[in-house]
Amino acid sequence: MSPTMDKDRDLLHRDRTFDFSAQRQAWLQFKEAMRPDRQFDFMIKAKDLELDISHGPILYLEDLNVSFDGFKAINDLNLYVDAGELRCIIGPNGAGKTTMMDIITGKTRPDSGTVSFGQKIDLLKLTEPEIAEIGIGRKFQKPTVFEHHTVFENLELAMAADKRVFPTLFAKLSGEQRTRIDEVLGTIGLTEHIDREAGALSHGQKQWLEIGMLLMQDPLLLLVDEPVAGMTHQEMDRTAELLMSLRGQHSVVVVEHDMDFVRSLNSRVTVLHQGSVLAEGSMDQVQNDQRVVEVYLGE
Amino acid sequence: MGVLRGDRGGQVMLALLLLTAIVVPLLNLAVPEGNPFHVSTFTVTLLGKYLTYALLAVAVDLVWGYLGILSLGHGAFFALGGYAMGMYLMRQIGDRGVYGDPVLPDFMVFLNWQELPWFWHGFDLFWFAMLMVVLVPGALAFLFGWLAFRSRVTGVYLSIITQALTYALMLAFFRNEMGFGGNNGLTDFKDLLGFDLQADSTRIGLFLASALALALGYLACRWIVTSKLGRVAVAIRDAEPRTRFIGYRVDRVKVAIWTFSAMLAGIAGALYVPQVGIINPGEFSPLNSIELVVWVAIGGRATLYGAVVGAIAVNYGKTYFTGAFPEAWLFALGGLFVLVTLFLPRGIAGLFQMLKRRKADPDAGDAAPEVAA
Repeated sequence: MSPTMDKDRDLLHRDRTFDFSAQRQAWLQFKEAMRPDRQFDFMIKAKDLELDISHGPILYLEDLNVSFDGFKAINDLNLYVDAGELRCIIGPNGAGKTTMMDIITGKTRPDSGTVSFGQKIDLLKLTEPEIAEIGIGRKFQKPTVFEHHTVFENLELAMAADKRVFPTLFAKLSGEQRTRIDEVLGTIGLTEHIDREAGALSHGQKQWLEIGMLLMQDPLLLLVDEPVAGMTHQEMDRTAELLMSLRGQHSVVVVEHDMDFVRSLNSRVTVLHQGSVLAEGSMDQVQNDQRVVEVYLGE
Repeated sequence: MGVLRGDRGGQVMLALLLLTAIVVPLLNLAVPEGNPFHVSTFTVTLLGKYLTYALLAVAVDLVWGYLGILSLGHGAFFALGGYAMGMYLMRQIGDRGVYGDPVLPDFMVFLNWQELPWFWHGFDLFWFAMLMVVLVPGALAFLFGWLAFRSRVTGVYLSIITQALTYALMLAFFRNEMGFGGNNGLTDFKDLLGFDLQADSTRIGLFLASALALALGYLACRWIVTSKLGRVAVAIRDAEPRTRFIGYRVDRVKVAIWTFSAMLAGIAGALYVPQVGIINPGEFSPLNSIELVVWVAIGGRATLYGAVVGAIAVNYGKTYFTGAFPEAWLFALGGLFVLVTLFLPRGIAGLFQMLKRRKADPDAGDAAPEVAA
């Protein structure tokens, strides 16, 4: 007797019970989707991509948890960033700052919790490029500009535009786009280096170029990871000016170790420790907080 | 012309190509045999073959030099284009084959097959065969690229898979059951569009077609690399995650350019086959694909015209060496590759650029920016 016949016979046993749970699940989903008071999923998605900041915050992180191999990198984190705000995040190594950025940009998925952009957009449902597209830009710790492209081309590539293959192939720079590039060049102070290869820029200039590339995407929220690491004092001052000039038009979250720099930004500060918020307030408030002192100076 | 702006090498290359395309047929047809200036039909065909190799090298340079994908399997697309052309040429033989069967090619009669396999239908039509010349390599490249690039397979792993791809195809085409003539491949072609393949005029026609295909292929690639998409491609080559991060669908850009490159390779293969008169599974050999990467490396990556120079120079060397010292060729090729990697990391094209810079600014030396590996 062949094995398939065996199987058939087995299926025909009278005492056999069939497992329809998967079908039942699908049916329930279908019924839920067909409820008359409910909209279709694809419509909901289109609607959800409208940014709603009517309640103030542009970024909501609620009850976030992430662990890597048992190590809790993020532990019940709750954080809100207002629209147009410049926010500094500080914290000792391993406090979860970078992991938090990774979650917002879709690089890491949390084990639990919600992340939303405005009140309606659920970032956990979007892919990395989609998140970039709806207006969240990130500057990495290490400057990664395109070394073999000129400053101008770097900005052109980063520009908000139709980035699909064929529109890119036929793309022509419009006058408006050209103006926008010149504008950003002015903001980041690299106008005279427009035709230089980015690989030939100084460390500080590369960092500014990268911030410029973020600005070209017209982001609503900018995530800036350790912008002044390795900079000279003049470069730091210049960077502080640059970031402060963005306040109001963009929401900016800066992760930084350098306390003098954070103080010079004169903004609200959040202290992270062991994956959750330890303290929040102005730099002076935070620095006088007993728990913060303990964390930074040891018990 | 817009796409050639700033491409001095390309301008010179295309001008030389045009000159060759005018002078060579003239010297072949107008100068009588025996005159020292006469170019034999053999030489014309040889040059035509080099031009198809050059087109293939341009296709490789497009993905390797500008997109950072080191393909060690581009020979497969070349061979597939060649097979599509070969199938058309086989069908053109008609009842003039050894066995005189009006429909079945000789090898099928020999294998005792009664009817034409389904995938041989339509190849008696020139337009259909030409469509297949681009569509078959294109479809394979699309499928392969879609799977590989979406899974973010990059670097040496991708190179190994491309190598496996061409090797697998070689083994498959060696089988008689595949219906492509087994290890003998397709040969004994008679005519193309009614023109006798042995005739001098047809040979010149094929040579001119190869030159035209090379020129158009070069301009198309040049158009791509000077477009914004070309700048995105270089960005992917230099910093792939960063490019993804600013919102480009890296996998799609790669699939698109990769597929285009494979189609170009297919066209090169289709022009190659009628000139050499045979296509067999040996064309899928992994060694071929590696060799053609060496042409591009020697000519100079990411310049496009360097690929043309490399392909022609190396193949001329090959023709010369295999005639003069047959055993020494592989050593010469290997040695050339080592020397170029050590002393001319940017290939022959890099040498031109260096000399030009020296002339313009004697102090500049060779502080040329390195192309990221």
